[in-house]
Amino acid sequence: MEFFQYDFIQRALLAGLITGIVCPLIGSFVVVRRQSLIGDGLGHIAFAGVTGGYMVGLYPVVGALILTIAGAVGIELVRRRHTEFADMGLAIFFYAGAAMAIIFSTMTRMPSTGLLSFLFGSIITVSLTDVITIAGAGTLVLVIVYFLFDKLMLMSLDEDIANVAGINTGMINMLFSILTALVVVVGMTIVGILLVSALMIVPVATAHLLRVGFKATMGWAVIFSMLSVFIGLTSSFYLDIAPGGTIVMTAILLYIIMTIIRQCIAFKERRKEQILSSFGDE
Amino acid sequence: MCEVKLSDIHFSYNTNVAIDNISLTISQGDFVAVVGPNGAGKSTMLKIIAGLIKPTRGQVQIGGKDIFTAKGHGLIGYVPQNYGKNAQGFPATVKEVVALGLTLGAAAAKKNHQAANHITTHMMELVGVEQLRDRRIGELSGGQQQRVMVAMALAANPQLLLLDEPTSGIDYDASARIYELLGTLNKNLGITIVMVSHDIEKAVSWANKVACINRKLCFFGSSKEFDDTHAQARHLWYYTGQ
Ligand SMILES: Nc1ncnc2c1ncn2[C@@H]1O[C@H](COP(=O)(O)OP(=O)(O)OP(=O)(O)O)[C@@H](O)[C@H]1O
Ligand SMILES: [Mg+2]
Repeated sequence: MEFFQYDFIQRALLAGLITGIVCPLIGSFVVVRRQSLIGDGLGHIAFAGVTGGYMVGLYPVVGALILTIAGAVGIELVRRRHTEFADMGLAIFFYAGAAMAIIFSTMTRMPSTGLLSFLFGSIITVSLTDVITIAGAGTLVLVIVYFLFDKLMLMSLDEDIANVAGINTGMINMLFSILTALVVVVGMTIVGILLVSALMIVPVATAHLLRVGFKATMGWAVIFSMLSVFIGLTSSFYLDIAPGGTIVMTAILLYIIMTIIRQCIAFKERRKEQILSSFGDE
Repeated sequence: MCEVKLSDIHFSYNTNVAIDNISLTISQGDFVAVVGPNGAGKSTMLKIIAGLIKPTRGQVQIGGKDIFTAKGHGLIGYVPQNYGKNAQGFPATVKEVVALGLTLGAAAAKKNHQAANHITTHMMELVGVEQLRDRRIGELSGGQQQRVMVAMALAANPQLLLLDEPTSGIDYDASARIYELLGTLNKNLGITIVMVSHDIEKAVSWANKVACINRKLCFFGSSKEFDDTHAQARHLWYYTGQ
């Protein structure tokens, strides 16, 4: 296929697939921790970081990384005060990020093409350096999640039990929040700030439909996410439409298909039971 | 080595005094039933012993060490009153949750796959959830979830087990089985148990000591003494704290 012969497509695919792995990995925990909005909250802070970074003469991604990590620390500190309303704290950061982004962007007059590439992602233009950076960040996330897996899972189920067992929940929560920030910044370059959260949540939602265990849900989420990146990127190339949006729409399409399949299976099972029980009556 | 010593514990939520000046010593191998009316401070006291909240005044020592240094060696198991806060819809299977217990303990079993499997299965059998092993915990009934949480705590092989109403919402048979299990663990393995319960008759019959709490410590002694001397007074203090 001519598609795979282009260097830029190979780079895009590689960067996209790595992002496709780490987003649902973090997303699996985010969903059960009732923090589904964290990607959006951090995304808007990342946007403030991009515009703020531009204003003070920083490389935009560096600006985004600094501010997003600071935001992640803040989100975690606020969450500790409102454990029962985890999403309320996230909303505050969401608005703070959006407000700052608006202020910075009007102050700096950053060229709108630059702004748009962060809002909508720029998977097609990733450089080799970008790919290496993304691979490095992805490996870091993978290694930390691997070693903290049991602890993160228990803390998602009940933080008190983890705490009594001697797990340093404060430290791990903070680390997890910072990892989420890292994934948001990586995802920002691929599908864009507006959609990065979708890659963290939608494949996980699809995997939840399968009603399998925790690890299996996570595994399936990664598969759905990588499928979305692959199908989305390919079709955006042939249809000549925006790749970021196409990737996320593919993920949502997979969700819809899976819902329909589940409905059909449930329907068939009910029919089977009805038929069997009608035989039993005679 | 797992003696629990509370000295002059005082705790208030803002201005609301929940625990007032409680001192008691739980010896290694004791099975203590903590009883008292709703809002008496039982859960609060358990959380203080577990090192989840810091008393406003006083100190908790486990095996001679301050709780905040003693915690963290897989020594203490805790089953909260409202099992897994996020348990609703949580995607992990029963087996996955019970196996999590292994990773908490100091036990080496977690390194050996076969041993881990064996212990997990055994714990599920003990509390009677092995036929639910592949079901997701979020899709179980409250009582079933509670049993899974007990199995997880046990899998960690703790020396001190703190349980906050582990049999609330559990049917007659299963709760009898949990009491029996706790009694056996206490007798055969010498695990120290502190259990909050509203089922006074049953709890007291299995425990060797009773602590009655209503903000203050109203009674602390052997369950025999409790039965003898407090037979009539029991209802009185239970409702009035006198
Ligand atoms: N998070 C909290 N914030 C403020 N007050 C609290 C909090 N938790 C408990 N309290 C108060 O502290 C007191 C003791 O509560 P606690 O939960 O320890 O009671 P309990 O003996 O466990 O009751 P129950 O039998 O209902 O479980 C109660 O008056 C309660 O209203
Ligand atoms: Mg209570």
